[in-house]
Amino acid sequence: MHLVVCAKQIPDPETPPAAFRIDAAKNEVIPAQGIAPVLSPFDAQAAEAALRIKEQSGDGKVTVISLGKESAQAAIKQVLAMGADEGVLLSADEFQGGDSYTTAHALAAAVKKLGDVDAVFCGRQAADWDMGQVGLGIAEELGWPSAIIAKDVKADGGGFIVQRVLADGFETVKMAGPAVITVSNELGDPRYPKLQQIMQAARKTVTTWTPADLGLQASELGAAGSRLKLEKLFQPPAGGDVQIMEGDTPAEQAKALAQALRDAKLI
Amino acid sequence: MVGGWWSPAVGLSGIGLIAALEVERTDAGREIFFNVQQPWAVYVFMASLVGLLVYGFGRHAGLWLLGRPTPGVGLFPRHRARNALRLGLGQEKIRRDRYAGIMHWCIFSSIIVLTFVTAQVALDADLSIHFLQGNYYLFFSFYGDLFGVIGLVGVGMALNRRYFDSYRRLRWDERLEDHLILWGLALILLSGFAVEALRIGASELAEHEAWARWSFASYGIAKLVEVFEFRDGQLLGAHTWAWWGHIVVAFSWLGLVVFTKLDHLFFAPANAYLLRTDAPGRLTKIENIEEREVFGVGQVQDFTWKQLFELDACVRCGRCTSVCPANLAGQPLSPMQLIQDLKAHLADVGPELQRVGHAGGDQRAVSPVAMVGDVIKDETLWACRTCGACVQECPVLIEHVPTIVDMRRYLVMDEARVPATAQAALENIEVRGHPWRGTTLTRESWMEGLEDVPAFDGSQEYLYWVGCSGALVERNLPITRSVFKLLREAGTSFGVLGQEETCNGDPARRLGNEYLYQILAQQLVETFKAKNVQRVITNCPHCFNTFKNEYPQFDGRFEVLHHTEFLAQALTDNRLRPQHRIDSSVTYHDSCYLGRLNGVYDAPRQILEFLPGAAVQEMERSRSRGLCCGAGGGNMWQEEVGDRRVNHVRAEEAVGTGAASVVSNCPFCIQMFEDGIPAIQPEEEGRMRAFDIAELLDQAVFGPAGAGAGGGGSDR
Repeated sequence: MHLVVCAKQIPDPETPPAAFRIDAAKNEVIPAQGIAPVLSPFDAQAAEAALRIKEQSGDGKVTVISLGKESAQAAIKQVLAMGADEGVLLSADEFQGGDSYTTAHALAAAVKKLGDVDAVFCGRQAADWDMGQVGLGIAEELGWPSAIIAKDVKADGGGFIVQRVLADGFETVKMAGPAVITVSNELGDPRYPKLQQIMQAARKTVTTWTPADLGLQASELGAAGSRLKLEKLFQPPAGGDVQIMEGDTPAEQAKALAQALRDAKLI
Repeated sequence: MVGGWWSPAVGLSGIGLIAALEVERTDAGREIFFNVQQPWAVYVFMASLVGLLVYGFGRHAGLWLLGRPTPGVGLFPRHRARNALRLGLGQEKIRRDRYAGIMHWCIFSSIIVLTFVTAQVALDADLSIHFLQGNYYLFFSFYGDLFGVIGLVGVGMALNRRYFDSYRRLRWDERLEDHLILWGLALILLSGFAVEALRIGASELAEHEAWARWSFASYGIAKLVEVFEFRDGQLLGAHTWAWWGHIVVAFSWLGLVVFTKLDHLFFAPANAYLLRTDAPGRLTKIENIEEREVFGVGQVQDFTWKQLFELDACVRCGRCTSVCPANLAGQPLSPMQLIQDLKAHLADVGPELQRVGHAGGDQRAVSPVAMVGDVIKDETLWACRTCGACVQECPVLIEHVPTIVDMRRYLVMDEARVPATAQAALENIEVRGHPWRGTTLTRESWMEGLEDVPAFDGSQEYLYWVGCSGALVERNLPITRSVFKLLREAGTSFGVLGQEETCNGDPARRLGNEYLYQILAQQLVETFKAKNVQRVITNCPHCFNTFKNEYPQFDGRFEVLHHTEFLAQALTDNRLRPQHRIDSSVTYHDSCYLGRLNGVYDAPRQILEFLPGAAVQEMERSRSRGLCCGAGGGNMWQEEVGDRRVNHVRAEEAVGTGAASVVSNCPFCIQMFEDGIPAIQPEEEGRMRAFDIAELLDQAVFGPAGAGAGGGGSDR
């Protein structure tokens, strides 16, 4: 069974607010000084889901693909250390500045190039822009069924049984493979790699593919192929306004608080 | 070296010696093997005992040699010999419990002197050098009896503690051998006196009563026996029985050395010789970590032979467990049990490991159980605070902490079995360079409102190392500001690294991720060298210990001061002048990594003396007996398992002094107290407050308004 994990390297979501800056003129986030980019946490969970199935099936293979800059090697190595077998980096200038559509397009082309893939695992969304579109985009491009926001995935013959998180409960679906599955944090903590695996991962070479390797044109990719245009990126001004609720007893204070919230039409 | 403990006995012996020299010259003496038939049987006993000892220790040695080589054990032989004398023979640690110290000294000195007495008898008889004569015979009779009495006093104290005292730790793992050893010793001494008294009664009393008086105790007994007017034949018959009884009991007891904790007679001084010669706060470096097959200790043969050897030195006295913070809080760690469990496991799997080793088989497949996981539970290993209290107390010099950390290394690096919260801290260190997941602060947040915080550029004398906890935890920012302001007020030439600071690896190393630690340490040593760092002042005792004791393993040698050391010196030199009154009672909490592991007890107390109006109330557990706050060894980032939290135990002790505030020197301790005190004092009014000592000094130097508020300077 051949499973693919899509992994994205993103600016650290735990960057302290004080260190987060944008370049309003260029509509870009300025990378915070001294804060290294990280593997999107949902993607680590996607890797965990794929690795659990690999262990369940006994003879599976996991390939991790990332689209990004050269630095995304670190994200790939992290998934390799967790237990993935091979890594592929889609890296070229043409890939840069894209949107969910061009990303899904490129990733789907890479999955096609790999050939014998039984499932693609993505995080439910990348923890930087939180669009949640790429997984579904890949499914659309490949013409595969998809299940999103999974909390549990099991192999079932050639297909999968997926437990999904809904707003008001869970839903279990049975789907035929090959399929695309996006994974949510409810799956549980991703594993801590053994040192032996970290060292093996460090020695592995990550294959780099360019648009030419995937048979794609520059016009389909990156900024050129984007269908989404970012109009304006800005930081809301930081500030706070505190109103202390008066009252002789906690009960009176609570009453005053409830009244204030009602007045503000919040409850 | 052995202290004043020998003085009374030596003094008494001296008086005896002078008296013996002063009396008229005499031809006193006695017949060796008086009234004993077939005395050669003694030599059969002797030969069997030697055979038994050789066989027994040979078996032990075979098990020790399963271990890996012990690095550095051949170095510093003089230092080690001093340790063997001071800590082994001098028994410095035993005296930390006064009662046990006196008791043990009595038994120990008695056995040493009486062995010497017996050896003289043997020499006299076997080599036919007849020196047990004349005035020396009188003196010999005197000190023989004196140390017999001393031995009985010791045994009496031991019997009292074992049977009549409500002394808990002796009963945690009480075994048959504990009773046998004690009663056996009592029997040896009593039968010795019986032999002597009966011999005197049957011969000397009638012939040379003046000589007999020198054996004062036996003489007294002989006089008592005399009252009953036994016939000479009866006394001689009894003497024969007593003599053989004494011999049989004595040799049997010595035989116990091979099978029981009595082996500490040899192993304790030897273990003192093998004791580490470097800083107690330093953990071993795994050399060439990338080439190792097993990173930590997962099976007994992964330990060094010294680590296996010291398992045999344990006498189950329970001192380690009685001071262990985890154990005091009812958490699943007893250092004594851990050592005993490992010892039992070694005995279980050792012989098979030896066999497989000789046959060239796979030793890793031998043990039917997992040493780490089954024999020693994961939660036991995680409960350790690495505070070193057990190591400090152990009278036979066992080093529990490195052994525990070695097994943690196995859990983390080989098995990747880590509690979720500790894993989060480790991952955070790896990804973000600090253990404080989710902090909203940056490494420069504390500088807000302070003017001209100088960046370290290599030209200043000191690097002020703020540390992750000093910069990224809200509670600690005032401490960092206070230290900063005081350094500036004292006219110090210093700078800070700001965003360039990164975790120095201490939590990773204590949690068992040596690999991560080594990467961080190597990077930081390079950074320090590139920036020409020579002297470092740290906020945090853990950073202090790491830079001072562990970075030399990575060729990073810097002069490292904890802020309390620097500030105490600045006060002594009159570079800081505390003028504002504190007028409050404080109690001082020794952090383990500054106190016990680095011996800095006085500098912080000196600072307290400089604070006008501060009344210091010491806690019962203080200085080298200080109790951990609960955060050490990476427990800052772990969920506690057990009856209580360690910080609640310690907060209770602090509150118990009645002081208005508890003062420490470590950001972790402060956080633990801030969290623990409200659990002990739910009412906010009159609640004890927790401060770093720098915060109090800040108040005393700049006045209450300026304290920690980031006012940026003096109010003068």
